[in-house]
Amino acid sequence: MKCLLISSQSAEVLFHWTDPEFYQNVQAQYGASQEDGHGLPAFEDSISTLFAPIIISCITMVDRLGDSYTSFTTENNHIYVLHQFDECLYIAVNGDGEEGEGDLRRKIYVMKKMIEVMFGMVTLSSNLLKRELRPQDTEQRARLWEHLQSLLETYSHLRENDQSFLVEAVERLIHPTLCEQCIEFLERRLVQQLNSSVERAGEEVLHAFILVHTKLLAFYSSRNASTLSTSDLLSLIIMSQNMYPSNTDQDDPNPEDIESTSGSGPESFYTPEPSPTDMDSRSSDMPVRESTPLFEFVDPDVQMAEDSLHTLEVPPPDPSTPRRVFLEVSLKDGLFPMMPHSMYCLPLWPGITLVLLTKIPTSAVAMSVYTFLEAFAKLEKRLNEGQEGPAATRGQPTIHDIRSKLDKFIKALGASEIQSAQLQNVWTDFKNRIGRGGPGFNRELIRSCKNMKTQLCGVYRQCFLIESGTADSPRRLSPGLQERAQTMVQDKLMDWKDFLLVKSKRNITMVSYLEDFPGLIHFICVDRSTGQMIAPSLNITERNVSELGKGPLAQFIKSKVWSLVSTTRRYLQKGYSTVTLRDGDFYFCYFLWFENETGYKLEAGDIPVLPDDSAPIGMLAWDYYRKLLRYYSKNHQGEVVKCYELLTVHLGVIPTEVILQHCRQLASKLWEPSRNPLL
Amino acid sequence: MAELVLPYSRRCNYFFLYDGSKVRGESDQTREGICYFYPEETPLDRQELLCGQLAGAGRCVSELSSSPVRILNLHRNRFAIRMEDDLLWALGCSVEVPTVSVCELLDQLINLFCFYNGSVRHSYQLNSQETLASRWAQYLSHLQSGSSELQHIFSCLMTIDSTNVDPLLLLKAALILQACQRCPLVLAGCILFKGRVVSTQMSPQLTMKVMVHESGTYTKPQRPNGQSSSFGSAVSSTAVFLTPSELQYLQSTPVDKDFSSHSTPHKNTPLKKTRLSRTLSDTPSSTESEPSDPGSSQSPQKLLSPHLSESSVYSSDPSQSTPNPPPPQSPEPPLSNGKHSPVEESLEESYYHSFHSNGEGGSQIDNGGDSSAFGENSHLNGGGVDGACGEEFNFRVAEESHDNKVSEEVSGRGCGRVQGHEVETPDPPRSDAFEHPGESPLIPMTLYLHRVKGLVLALLVEPHFLSDKASMEEVYHSSLASLNGLEAHLRSVSPGVPGAPGPYIFAHFDCIQSTLTSNLSGRPGGAPERPFVRATSLLHSHFCNTETLQEAIIRSAGAAVYGTRSVAQETYFQQHGGSLRNSGIPNHQDSAFSLPGKARHRLLKHGVNLL
Repeated sequence: MKCLLISSQSAEVLFHWTDPEFYQNVQAQYGASQEDGHGLPAFEDSISTLFAPIIISCITMVDRLGDSYTSFTTENNHIYVLHQFDECLYIAVNGDGEEGEGDLRRKIYVMKKMIEVMFGMVTLSSNLLKRELRPQDTEQRARLWEHLQSLLETYSHLRENDQSFLVEAVERLIHPTLCEQCIEFLERRLVQQLNSSVERAGEEVLHAFILVHTKLLAFYSSRNASTLSTSDLLSLIIMSQNMYPSNTDQDDPNPEDIESTSGSGPESFYTPEPSPTDMDSRSSDMPVRESTPLFEFVDPDVQMAEDSLHTLEVPPPDPSTPRRVFLEVSLKDGLFPMMPHSMYCLPLWPGITLVLLTKIPTSAVAMSVYTFLEAFAKLEKRLNEGQEGPAATRGQPTIHDIRSKLDKFIKALGASEIQSAQLQNVWTDFKNRIGRGGPGFNRELIRSCKNMKTQLCGVYRQCFLIESGTADSPRRLSPGLQERAQTMVQDKLMDWKDFLLVKSKRNITMVSYLEDFPGLIHFICVDRSTGQMIAPSLNITERNVSELGKGPLAQFIKSKVWSLVSTTRRYLQKGYSTVTLRDGDFYFCYFLWFENETGYKLEAGDIPVLPDDSAPIGMLAWDYYRKLLRYYSKNHQGEVVKCYELLTVHLGVIPTEVILQHCRQLASKLWEPSRNPLL
Repeated sequence: MAELVLPYSRRCNYFFLYDGSKVRGESDQTREGICYFYPEETPLDRQELLCGQLAGAGRCVSELSSSPVRILNLHRNRFAIRMEDDLLWALGCSVEVPTVSVCELLDQLINLFCFYNGSVRHSYQLNSQETLASRWAQYLSHLQSGSSELQHIFSCLMTIDSTNVDPLLLLKAALILQACQRCPLVLAGCILFKGRVVSTQMSPQLTMKVMVHESGTYTKPQRPNGQSSSFGSAVSSTAVFLTPSELQYLQSTPVDKDFSSHSTPHKNTPLKKTRLSRTLSDTPSSTESEPSDPGSSQSPQKLLSPHLSESSVYSSDPSQSTPNPPPPQSPEPPLSNGKHSPVEESLEESYYHSFHSNGEGGSQIDNGGDSSAFGENSHLNGGGVDGACGEEFNFRVAEESHDNKVSEEVSGRGCGRVQGHEVETPDPPRSDAFEHPGESPLIPMTLYLHRVKGLVLALLVEPHFLSDKASMEEVYHSSLASLNGLEAHLRSVSPGVPGAPGPYIFAHFDCIQSTLTSNLSGRPGGAPERPFVRATSLLHSHFCNTETLQEAIIRSAGAAVYGTRSVAQETYFQQHGGSLRNSGIPNHQDSAFSLPGKARHRLLKHGVNLL
């Protein structure tokens, strides 16, 4: 029984996702009162009616008490988590005991992150975002929601099954020689060739990486590119997995099987099987859609003409159409969140994907918009804090600083296709107002600031969310170029293909550790400074047999690892960086520590204590560790500080001293200067 | 352990009882549904806001999940919720307080109310909202008062510091209770000293409830002055209500009940009160005492007890409607204090010798206290009932209780039996109390309290114990001397010097008895102990939620705390001093990992065995 709902403050549904059980539950509560054949509106209405009292109560509480609900728990252990971002209220529900409050809060934050990656700075204007999330056209809305639903399901599936999404760090394939070769290949051959081609239509490849399932084989960033944050990289992996789901459960994936659908398959709507415990449902459902989904809002065969839809979220029938993604860029002059990029996801073989990230020619506009938005947001904040208008405008950056820039910006927009008349008007109004002063000045200026922000977001939306260019000459790497890139990498990896697919499932095996670490059952080691993790594979599927064997025992250990991660996060949230637990027949350890660049262990510092309803600890939706590092580095000026985590599971009969010795050895060996973890 | 309330430990920010059935129509105002709201000074519109919103959102969630809401979190407050029919209780604490503790606190509060007032619905039908509001306030203030944050985390019983007390005193207390139990009308009891438990025969939950009545805030205003009776001001009683499971638990305790049935034939034999109190020396000869046991005898005494009249009035009067009346008049006591003395002497002789001299002192003090009225009466009727009026009822009541006794001895003491008895009595309001539909039936019982200065003997007795003059006399007289002695000894025990602040802090929670042992000073603003309390609260919640978890060490930059638990206990330990020099990397030489060994070693001398 799961559900995720995004609602506006007026209880209008902006997005909903339910699993079949929840869907049936809602239908049962509305039962006979609903007509068949109007699936979408009827269900949307009923879910909105059911949740409306909670939503309205939530808003009332904020307005009148300045406090609001964060969660409900019922006696039969259904959990409701609520979180408000700006004017959008997110509600996540679990009624089957599979997710805790933390998981639900994480899900909400991940959903928000995905929406940011898809809509960029439009998310900064609630009004625009509401319109974006809930297109007037019902078909279009259904399509967008299906896409978001499927992203959410992909994420949930990964979080429940993939260790790298459990700890929210990227896992690399451990094969130093091959990795090196591939990186070199991406750099010298692929990216160079793409960026020197005329067919790139002004786009410039910044990052290129090869994914084997969810694991990174090689990652290359061009020299003038900023680093890709772990949060963004993980989001991109979710997106690529959503487009080309891996059949991780199959030992020998049959190439034809998937190739037949690779062309049309990327966006096909995935419906989980009724049983939520069936881990295999995803893969079996994906290639062949034989079972009729329990609920389907639109006929999947109805395809809308691409041109008639003015948002990016239309499933592109043409796989060569890139996805617009908004990623963080850090440059010398600062951090720019949500800068537009194009993402090309090129399937090489089932399970192996090449992802290209390009900078689009107009991305400078986004930077300007962000600078202006920031200036107005700061001004608004100062005004809200009660500073007098004239004083407020003198803060940094001053309005006068951006005045001429904004004038120029608007002028330049006037020359383009972008509709900027409205922005021009609001800006003129603002300039007039700011000179005036007098009673009520602050309040009006605040409103003016809000208007400016909305207009700027609107311009940003026109520039980056609506497909510009004509159908004949879309701005993107030409299909031919994409195809060439695909073939190049395929040629390169042809001989390695099968090896890679197996390797990705047996990246590290516990077997190699048994001799040195008797009694060790499992471990996860994470380098939080780079956002990378190492852990022995823990594939629990019907067909795969890991060292743990299969069946209940393996499943049990997996569930222990998963719960250990959430337990230690809870302690970390409360400021505890070392945790050891004797639980049943097992002994668990968790350590978080800091090192400097040379590997010298720094003294443990205070870790901030966060409230229960704070953002989830992790790197995907909200980079806790980046903040932690910044916090810790305050006392280590001029030093590069690195942060590591180690989790271990031992048999409980092993003496504690031995266990701790193991942990120590693992901690020092795994990240030896060679950066090649022991195999 | 300190008695001081730490400034940051006000447990409860909000508490309210909301009756949704009163707010049905469009025109009904939310305020009509508010039965009680704490803090009472909260502006009404804010009360309405909280009640209305929480009840509304709670109901909506309950409908969606077809299950009542249990916990509701806000950014700044954590609410435990109880929903029954249209009633909704909500208790809000700071979010710092673990969820388990908040829920426990709410349950305690509601159970307390039901214990003293019977079913909530019914109480509100019988009593004015103001009367009941004052009771909620009393219970709430009792639960919030007088204990440290650590005790709040575990919701534990306050006990006397057993390390400071001669174990024989505890044994003596236990024996007093056992002796009282020989009277078949006595279910179980406990002995409290200055708000702390010395010995109890009841479950921790029940003991906690009984303690509320004893606590000064509740009883003092009702204590009558200037009246004297046979039992003096020392004895009082009040009606209470047990849940069926509580009653079952009490009845299942291995009390030698054969005893009472054997004694039936002997009930007219002369009293031998001295034997009622079991002592160290006569324990082995308990069988000998059987034939002479006076436990259920009554006839020789019943005419001696003019104050029985009050009891009879009580039995025909709904007790819950007049719980705090002014003291009634009571005739002169039938037994002079002088008569007690030989009894005491003989008791003392059979006791452990060290009690002897103090016992007399105790009795003298008791004499002084005897000049005031029989405290029991204060609870039992509307006041102003005089002795003459009482006489009329005298025989009838005595016969009635006699009948009950006989039939009870035949059929045993099931709860059905008790109800049957209630139906027989001409007492319609009381039978309502537990026949109210939709709530588990509560069984009326009586709480009998005998106070000797700081010491209180609290007994749960069958309701007709009060009308059974003989039993009452026996229980009173047989325990009096022992209680005096015990009081004198306990008083002389030096107030527990909270163990010299050693190089470590520990807390040991006995889950079975619900008691906490700790060397935490609990000074207000005990900054150095803050990390320990915080870690303990986290670990305690973790232990509560994870059945398989046996032990844990958690470390922040400043403190490492070790927690371990078994089925019966939870222990927390923190080593002080020597700043934790560590880098947080796994290192077996790290001091944090030596905590289990140190705890085992150090806590032995506190009587905590972790081996």
